[in-house]
Amino acid sequence: MEGKVSRASRKLEASPIQELSQLAQTCRAINLAEGFPDFPAPPHLKAAALSAITGDFNQYRHVQGICHLLATQMKGRHGIAVNALSDFVICCGQSEAFAASIFAIVDPGDEVLLFDPAYETYESCILLAGGIPVYVPLSPPDWSFKKDELMKYFTSRTKALVLNSPHNPTGKVFTRDELETICEACKIMECFAITDEVYEYITYDRELHISLASLPGMQERTIITSSLSKTFSVTGWRIGWACAPANIASAIRNIHVKITDSAPAPFQEAALTALQSPPDYYCSLRTEYEARRDYVVQILSVLGFQVRFKPKGSVFIFAELPDHCELSDIEFVKKLIEKAGVAAVPGCGFFHTTPQPQDGEKYQRRYIRFAFCKSGETLSAARQKMEQCVNEDGQLSF
Amino acid sequence: MILSSPFTASGAHHYEMPLSLRSFTSLNRALLSSSSPSSLLLRGSSLVPTMAASSTTTVSSTDAAPQLNQSTPSPPPVQVAKRLEKFKTTIFTQMSSLAIKHNAINLGQGFPNFDGPDFVKDAAIEAIKAGKNQYARGYGVPDLNSAIASRFQKDTGLIVDPEKEVTVTSGCTEAIAATILGLVNPGDEVVLFAPFYDSYEAVLSMAGANIKCITLRPPDFAVPLEELKSVVSANTKAIMINTPHNPTGKMFTREELEFIAQLCKENDVLVFTDEVYDKLSFEMDHISMASLPGMFNRTVTLNSLGKTFSLTGWKIGWAVAPPHLTWGVRQAHSFLTFATSTPMQFAAATALQTSDSYYEELKRDYLAKKAILVEGLEAVGFVVYPSSGTYFVVVDHTPFGFENDVAFCEHLIEEVGVVAIPTSVFYLNPEEGKNLVRFTFCKDEATLRGAVERMKHKLRKR
Repeated sequence: MEGKVSRASRKLEASPIQELSQLAQTCRAINLAEGFPDFPAPPHLKAAALSAITGDFNQYRHVQGICHLLATQMKGRHGIAVNALSDFVICCGQSEAFAASIFAIVDPGDEVLLFDPAYETYESCILLAGGIPVYVPLSPPDWSFKKDELMKYFTSRTKALVLNSPHNPTGKVFTRDELETICEACKIMECFAITDEVYEYITYDRELHISLASLPGMQERTIITSSLSKTFSVTGWRIGWACAPANIASAIRNIHVKITDSAPAPFQEAALTALQSPPDYYCSLRTEYEARRDYVVQILSVLGFQVRFKPKGSVFIFAELPDHCELSDIEFVKKLIEKAGVAAVPGCGFFHTTPQPQDGEKYQRRYIRFAFCKSGETLSAARQKMEQCVNEDGQLSF
Repeated sequence: MILSSPFTASGAHHYEMPLSLRSFTSLNRALLSSSSPSSLLLRGSSLVPTMAASSTTTVSSTDAAPQLNQSTPSPPPVQVAKRLEKFKTTIFTQMSSLAIKHNAINLGQGFPNFDGPDFVKDAAIEAIKAGKNQYARGYGVPDLNSAIASRFQKDTGLIVDPEKEVTVTSGCTEAIAATILGLVNPGDEVVLFAPFYDSYEAVLSMAGANIKCITLRPPDFAVPLEELKSVVSANTKAIMINTPHNPTGKMFTREELEFIAQLCKENDVLVFTDEVYDKLSFEMDHISMASLPGMFNRTVTLNSLGKTFSLTGWKIGWAVAPPHLTWGVRQAHSFLTFATSTPMQFAAATALQTSDSYYEELKRDYLAKKAILVEGLEAVGFVVYPSSGTYFVVVDHTPFGFENDVAFCEHLIEEVGVVAIPTSVFYLNPEEGKNLVRFTFCKDEATLRGAVERMKHKLRKR
């Protein structure tokens, strides 16, 4: 009865991230694979949620105050002026905001540009909507792209470009220069941009996240998606949003209403508290994550990984296997789980393009993604476990 | 003016609408000024405006106006997807702001004005405190999958595997979307019964399905068996059933279900059944299609926490189906929302493990509320159709002399101060529903009595 599954969903494969997570659980491995924290959510947020539940905020609702707070933040941080009444759609996480945005603008046959490597879910949404994903490769080691090359990927069928910055899995933060290039291309080709900015508050080395929509001529064609999840360590609450010009937001809202109708009510209430967190909160968030980044970069380097690109944002390090290592990324990760008791994600699942000659054939099987959104104890324990498996050069070897 | 939903067409007045949106925008404008019945409706709308502290009705002066680059003869302006041509904004938005303006008692909204039981809320609070705030396993927290499987076994006698046959979603709305998007191909024929909850039609359009609609008619909204038989063929992919049924309160009988089952087996057709009101079955026992001989292997059974436990805003729903169908549902689900709210899942597991006395009390409670409403509506002069289940009742409003259901509902809000929902929005052909309106009784007794009093005093037959 496999024939009963829709053609579109048959093209989709089960999430490799989730499968490996299950292997890691079976082996009781320390999980540096999935990108969610193992430290508690901020107390002021949990209190707000509890308050909402006991205060009977438990029926379908749309909490307009969230939109006003977001609008204020956008104006303050990015100089983007949006209409809180018409430009927002509150969704079950950025996941749903992205899915609804794709369904709102992608017709069967439309092409959608994605930078490669890419978070696996984007492609699946595009395929479900009948669209065609087109990948623009980012070249290692610094994950850059050539400006004059970008235009070659656009065709008359290009409907949108997806920009995830800060970037999963590489930790790249797209520079103003790069954003300007993307901006020009979208304007010339009259297409949309859909951004995934979930790591917007997690940037390092004084690097600031620039929202693509803040560039000249971009707001009118950009759908911004983001969420509470990563900023506030509440990935399980499912509160996200899309922000776009009113007519587009309206289309996204129409889809959202048919997919889930409403984001969880008590957590929408708690979002009001979250979005009024003082500047201190965001400062500590960055400082603490930066310390973790530095710690993990150091450990991995000592263990023989090649960290030629230090992440400027997100909670991930995309490290290259030691030179001498002959295993593929998947083989390496399996050994890492089974022998060292530490789980990470093989990078191949994020790549979708054929390697370009100048980048070498094999790089797509040589990267491992480590998440460092974990407590100090967890990271320290992971280091100790990996140190058990080093060779005489002090490098991880299986 | 009180803040109305942001989803009114205010945006449309300011911006250049792409061609593909113009048809539904003008429809929207028609709604504002007349009694055109051609809009779709939400079941329990998320569009209840909340009076958050910083609410204001003045639109920011720095509106984002999409002045697209028109300098050269250029490609057409950016367009939204064609699938949205079938999506219309909800009439409920208009009704909602009208209701607030007139201080009307709202018996239109399909969600309670009382809250869920403390023991379930306490479980959610405990889960949050215990740190269960990160991503849950995509297809559900194991405790909840097990609780769903146990409850399903109690209700249907069927033993299902919680790991392979149960998928948790953000409400039954998402379960419906995931089922359709996961299992229906563009061009597939799907049978729907009108009147229907509007997400069915919208999501089927998104999936590119070819909808075959069968109308259920008063007084008993029985399934027209011969008509159904003429429409089902080897080309039919699936039949969608909602029992107990929103808006009519009809419950599919064993005979009807057996007839449908027979057609499905003969023609290799799937069944998607939305059973969110199964615990609100009053006049007969609820029967799940999946429990009929030979049907489990071709049925997806959908349900949720919200209606049974008066927690509609928590968005915990699920799909129960054999593994080969569950796979498609899970694929679509994982790309629609990825995972469902974690603390609420733990609380839902607690809720589903409660004893049968909870459900008995729920029914007693709702029966009392129903009696107040039904007796009141009859006394006022409506023709009240018998509702066997759900917390809805449909009535014929024609004794009051209005041209159609939307006109009647507007009068009811403005002159009487009560909200009902025009049912024409639940049909493919709105004409078929113009004599009917839907009332809900998921409100506390004082509210129901208050509404009945207003109608007795101010609603006059013509």
